[in-house]
Amino acid sequence: MRILIVEDEADLLASLAKALREKGYAVDTAADGEEGLWKAESWDYDAIVLDVMLPRLDGWAILHRLRESQKTPVLMLTARDAARDRVRGLDTGADDYVVKPFDLDELFARLRALIRRAAGQSRNVIEIGTLVIDTAAHRVTRAGHSIALTAREYALVEFLALRRGEVVTRTTLYEHLFDEDDDTLSNLLDVHVSNLRKKLGADIITTHRGQGYCIE
Amino acid sequence: MKFFHSIRWRMQLWHGLLLALVLAGFGFTAWRLQWATQLQHLDQELEQRIAVIASTMRLSAPKGPGPLARKGIPPPPRDGIPPPRRDGIPPPRRTELSPDGNTAAQPSPRELALSARDSNLFAGDSDGAFYYAVWSRNGSELFRSAALPPDEARPERVAGARGSRLHGPLRESFHYTPGGECILVGRNIRGELTEIWRFAWLLAGAGAAVFVVGLAGGWWVSARALRPIGDISAAAANISAGDLTQRIHTADTDSELGQLAQVLNDAFARLQSAFDRQVQFTADASHELRTPVSVVLTQTQTALSRERSAAEYRESLAACQRAAQRMRQLIESLLTLARLDSGEAATAGEPCDLERAANEAAELLRPLAEEKGINLELDLKPACCEGKVEQLTQVVSNLISNAICHNRPGGIVQVKVASEPGAVILSVQDTGLGIASEDLPHIFERFYRADKARSNAAGRAGLGLAITKAIVEAHNGTIEVFSVLGEGSTFTVRLPKLSRPLESSAAPK
Repeated sequence: MRILIVEDEADLLASLAKALREKGYAVDTAADGEEGLWKAESWDYDAIVLDVMLPRLDGWAILHRLRESQKTPVLMLTARDAARDRVRGLDTGADDYVVKPFDLDELFARLRALIRRAAGQSRNVIEIGTLVIDTAAHRVTRAGHSIALTAREYALVEFLALRRGEVVTRTTLYEHLFDEDDDTLSNLLDVHVSNLRKKLGADIITTHRGQGYCIE
Repeated sequence: MKFFHSIRWRMQLWHGLLLALVLAGFGFTAWRLQWATQLQHLDQELEQRIAVIASTMRLSAPKGPGPLARKGIPPPPRDGIPPPRRDGIPPPRRTELSPDGNTAAQPSPRELALSARDSNLFAGDSDGAFYYAVWSRNGSELFRSAALPPDEARPERVAGARGSRLHGPLRESFHYTPGGECILVGRNIRGELTEIWRFAWLLAGAGAAVFVVGLAGGWWVSARALRPIGDISAAAANISAGDLTQRIHTADTDSELGQLAQVLNDAFARLQSAFDRQVQFTADASHELRTPVSVVLTQTQTALSRERSAAEYRESLAACQRAAQRMRQLIESLLTLARLDSGEAATAGEPCDLERAANEAAELLRPLAEEKGINLELDLKPACCEGKVEQLTQVVSNLISNAICHNRPGGIVQVKVASEPGAVILSVQDTGLGIASEDLPHIFERFYRADKARSNAAGRAGLGLAITKAIVEAHNGTIEVFSVLGEGSTFTVRLPKLSRPLESSAAPK
């Protein structure tokens, strides 16, 4: 899952990015409105965390412009908690709204819900045969046995599971699992896939040669 | 009783009382006048008849000294004259010695021989007819008319020899002739009395009607006059209940109550705007605190979520420290403003050397200017005003640091202190971006920022200029700004000059 954070307060941006990366997300950051809009329009993010008060271009303007072309889930982050601000945010096209100061766990839960809903899932548990993916706890079990996965491996299996039956191209996977700072080799994806097959079973992820991967 | 405390009832009571007094006074006077006029008219008629009788008596008097022709000092009244008897039978004739020594037979009372024209004057039915009687000097009745009521006694002689009296329903006038005879003419005025009492009842009835109409009118007028008070108190009650948007609706704005309503509406509007500003201020202040608190929360939650290296902990703590410093700065600014608002920081009237304050502030900020590549030019002349040195130093340093932060790289900040007759002037000019005309009226407002979003310079909450203005105003000074977009801004502070020369207490060189 790749997330963009647009926030001008450097310390808040850094700690949010760090916390999200530790949860296995690929995180891009932008410190002002213009950079944020440019990134949001250039990449296909799974979710955007958008501060309202930003230099150069404020959150409302970014949201307005973004909604002309994309339907990426957007979580607004703001210091204003007046009802009319919330209404305005949601009416402009925001998908959720968190008021500062917020609790990190709550922010994460809301982000997960946004991503899940965008993928058409209403539950936070995805079952594929005996394989159960708990998107809230970031845990995978097979026939009741917990399987230890790295953050990247989990992200990969969750991304494919949320698009079950779809063939996901390597480029898409690459875009959603690695952030702008990752200088990973392109075959790293194959390494993750082969590791997952070892842990979850060879039949779980199918390779469509020349097209991509899929969880049937 | 609540009843008597109501303004309306009290107004009504006074109004009623006054109206009743006026009506009663007017009615009584009218009645009196009417009666007096009637009596006067009657008296004239009586006088006319007395004159007729007197002339008739003079004509019919015998030649020589007669009762009427005789001149002389009237004799003192003599006792022993029998009063007329109550039964109306004339007293028996008596022969008496006349005062001048002649014996004269007392003539029996008879009617005067009046001419036909004159006797008409005494004609009429028994009730309304005029009657007369004439008494001689010694009290014996000389003449009497047939209509004379019984028990008529000679009236006492009064000064001026003329008089009139009212006894029972009889009105009588009498006249003592120089010869001492008494002529009395009277009439029964029962008819007039009935008339005048009817008139009194008419007046009373009309007065009562006017009184009732007046009371009703007063009630209506007072209701109309007091209605705005009801509106005012309703609006005031709503406002005190918390609805500050309430206003008093008055149709006529020219009446006293209309003006009062206007004044109250203005006061309510100011109250509301002060309240709104307070609400906005609180919202802004809490908003400014939210971001640093978010930093502390996310940093600590992230740091504590697992074991970290010492470097990571240090980094988190440093971020928390920065956030806390920002909060401290904000709190200090808020406290400064609160103190200035409460008037606690009122200038104590110490002499203050503005030149020195400006110099200090400029030297403190010179490193910041150099860091940003900005040339700080000073043009300071001696200028003394009244006030607190620390506060005025803060004014200068706020203005200079603004000028540095909003300048272009390599720009210039000019700080001038000068003295004018009656005022000292501080001006800070920059060569920065200038301020847009739509922002100019607001830049001294609390938390107002021209770029709307947080400025990049950390810790600038948008309170600097608000504090500057508050300090300048606490010193009875003014601050104004002149700005050209793209060329720069000039802030000019004017403070009252110190009236006495600065001597020992300040300016140690």
